[in-house]
Amino acid sequence: MPDSTTTDVPLAIDIRDARYVYPTGNVVALGGVDLKVERGEIIGIIGQNGSGKTTLTKLFNGLLKPTSGSVIINGIDAAKHTVQQMAAHVGYVFQNPNHQLFARTVQAELEFGPRNIGVTEDDIAVRVAEAVEFFGLQDVIEEHPYRVSFPIRKLVGIASIVAMRPSIIIFDEPSTGQDHNTTQIINDLMRRLREEGTTVVCVSHDMPLLADVVERVIVMKNTEIIADATPREVFADKALMARTNLQAPQVTEIALQTVVPFGGPVALTPAELAADIASRVGRKAKTASPAAEVAS
Amino acid sequence: MSDPIISFTDVTYTYAGTDEPALHSISLEIQPGEYVAVLGLNGAGKTTLGLCVNGVVPTMLGGELTGTVLVGGLDVSEYPVREMSKLVGMVFDNPEFQMSQMSAAEEVALGLENAGVPYEEMRRIIPETLELVGLGGFEERSPLGLSGGQQQRLAIAAVLAMKPQILIMDEPTSNLDPIGKQEVFDMAAKLNRERGMTVIVIEHEVEVMARYADRVIVLDAGRIVMNGTPQEIFSRVDELDALKLRVPESAALARVLGSEYGLWKGQVPITTEPAVSAINELLGAKNA
Amino acid sequence: MSMQAALPIAMIPGNSIIHRINPLAKLVWVVGYVVLAFSTQNIVILYSMAVFAFILAPIAGVTKPLLKACLILVPVGSSLLALQIIAPAVERPWTEVASLGPLPLYGDGLYYGFVLLGRIVASLIIALVMVMTTHPSDLFTSFAKLKVPYTLNFMLAMTLQLIPVFQREVGIILSAQKSRGMKGTGFAAVLPSFVPVFVGAIERVQQLSISLESRGFGSNGVKTSYRQVRGRPSDWVVGIVGALVVAGLSTYSIMRGTWSLAGEIQFSSVFVFVTFLISATIFAGIILAAILFSFKK
Repeated sequence: MPDSTTTDVPLAIDIRDARYVYPTGNVVALGGVDLKVERGEIIGIIGQNGSGKTTLTKLFNGLLKPTSGSVIINGIDAAKHTVQQMAAHVGYVFQNPNHQLFARTVQAELEFGPRNIGVTEDDIAVRVAEAVEFFGLQDVIEEHPYRVSFPIRKLVGIASIVAMRPSIIIFDEPSTGQDHNTTQIINDLMRRLREEGTTVVCVSHDMPLLADVVERVIVMKNTEIIADATPREVFADKALMARTNLQAPQVTEIALQTVVPFGGPVALTPAELAADIASRVGRKAKTASPAAEVAS
Repeated sequence: MSDPIISFTDVTYTYAGTDEPALHSISLEIQPGEYVAVLGLNGAGKTTLGLCVNGVVPTMLGGELTGTVLVGGLDVSEYPVREMSKLVGMVFDNPEFQMSQMSAAEEVALGLENAGVPYEEMRRIIPETLELVGLGGFEERSPLGLSGGQQQRLAIAAVLAMKPQILIMDEPTSNLDPIGKQEVFDMAAKLNRERGMTVIVIEHEVEVMARYADRVIVLDAGRIVMNGTPQEIFSRVDELDALKLRVPESAALARVLGSEYGLWKGQVPITTEPAVSAINELLGAKNA
Repeated sequence: MSMQAALPIAMIPGNSIIHRINPLAKLVWVVGYVVLAFSTQNIVILYSMAVFAFILAPIAGVTKPLLKACLILVPVGSSLLALQIIAPAVERPWTEVASLGPLPLYGDGLYYGFVLLGRIVASLIIALVMVMTTHPSDLFTSFAKLKVPYTLNFMLAMTLQLIPVFQREVGIILSAQKSRGMKGTGFAAVLPSFVPVFVGAIERVQQLSISLESRGFGSNGVKTSYRQVRGRPSDWVVGIVGALVVAGLSTYSIMRGTWSLAGEIQFSSVFVFVTFLISATIFAGIILAAILFSFKK
């Protein structure tokens, strides 16, 4: 395994002792947080409202500047750059697409971000075409963003960020108010971004979604990071889950009460748990597909 | 069995300015005291169905409604929404959008003031109702300064004060964090069990609905495609999959164990406990 | 978690004697102040009114927030005095009492500047004391008693309520646009961002109207009120005394022309000169600071 210290590639996110205190009222929103994220990692941030999740992610693209401490993104000091300058590095998908969209057509909406960060017109066309293809927006490209259905609008909002090809993308509650179908599309997108080397940060209350895609979970409570581990470790930590009032996905709960005491995996998906149970009773799958899925 | 409190007879509804009906030949009966979960993709007609029950469809939103919707024996198309509000309380996904007053007490008072309830009675009803939703002592708090879960419970209190028999909640927890979700569902369950209130919840959270609901209705493109107990509905994993709807993970697990490994024969577990005991039995039989 | 944007002027909860006065009695005083302030040019009366209103602040326990809100008077006052000294808003002839290079400075301008400022200061302070000691709901309940239509009343209350909400919405929307690399900070650059603000507002209003209708809003029957605003004998006294004083002084003032003391009070040329320098410097400083700040952003 290559030693990461020998390479010159800076960390995607390198936050040291970052504090944020609201300018009015002396309310501490973030109290002394350290966080290092390698390029290409896919992480989830969980915690109740008010735990500091959003404040933390807003430091990444400079929407908030730390009151003290440092925020280095791709080797760049986010506190010393404007949000506009950081936009080329960090994409931020807001929870509600209605906060984000304003152009006359979906096409113009997708072109807005890339043009702002100085992408050439030829390149913009390529990126927009790619985003349209991936999100299946061919039929609505000439529509007004507010004339399309809410799920599609959500996808347009995400596509408008993806088309900027930032090396880090933050998703704020991507599945809120969305049905299973749209959540699956977002899920697939996050995996694909990861495969392409994008660093993905997903702030969410949706545990099944996180169990499915992220490899590392940051748990926040009372403005601090109180745990930083794999989803399996986090979900298996009953005391931690109780302290934060969070609940593991149902299948993980079942695994914890069945196979885990016998050395089985803290399963994250039904397929994974089923495969483990089957192997314990000496059963082989009728087809090869579910076992292959489990491997990931 | 008593008379249904809600009955839809061959209801088709088309919003003004659209061609496709949002609801297609809906026939449905709901008994007093039932807890009904309505599932479906966005745009399947779930909200429209809810709006029919309190008469916002068709009296406020216009459009064309055929068939009849009877609620508490009243034809909703013949009564203004404010009359129906004495029977039906409805809350929506964004609690903040339902807040209009300076204090929690005034938020709850609004409906009572409109109904002309005397001052002395309001002084009694308001603290009682706030207490009921777990917001006792919040009278003077500003609604906009409350957490999402508290706001949603306040929105519910604001309709409960009018003593409706039916509570409809349209994705009541989609904007809430896990604590907030828990607060709202616990309260709805309490109202249903202890007060016999009829509860209709439009929801994506299938694991929660599997635990609480007496009945699940699945809508697809404006039609009721499934209608039965949670046990019946969530057992039909492949059909729900085809509709792109989630099933409780316990049911998904049982399906994989059954179809891929031939290890599941009995009833599909829709909640955690039966899944755990069945699996432990399976593993125990092997170990023994 | 989003912080709730706070209005600079809001009610300061309390139970002082001023808080307990009936909102309508207080309203009589505010309206009375405005009427009297605009019917006289007597600066002794104007500044006595301001001082009296200001004395109410410590009684009500709102001195600090009141002073904070009064900061707005700095740019208003400095520009007013500076401009009046060089270009009085009174009929000529003007008496030039000093000059700054080629710029003549007029004594009568300064007097009139003090009159205008006195009117603003007196009215503003009394209005602030009222706003800071009256629960908006009580005020609106009182309006209802005056037969202000229910819906209009509701809209007024609602608007007040929504200001912080929209401030927050605009903040989120601008953040979202900046995150997409939106350039420029000027009005033209920001304008398109208001599409989401309006869409959000329409959505909110639609949802709210359904929610309100579902709670019987718009029913024609007799409405009752949860907030009870009492009118005690002392409130009547406060209101009637206020009304009588105002009526008396304004009538006398109007009978005396405007009761202006411009003839009696003569400002020395040094005083006019120094006042001009100070107010002009403050005003110019504020403008300069504003320009620098907007560039920095």
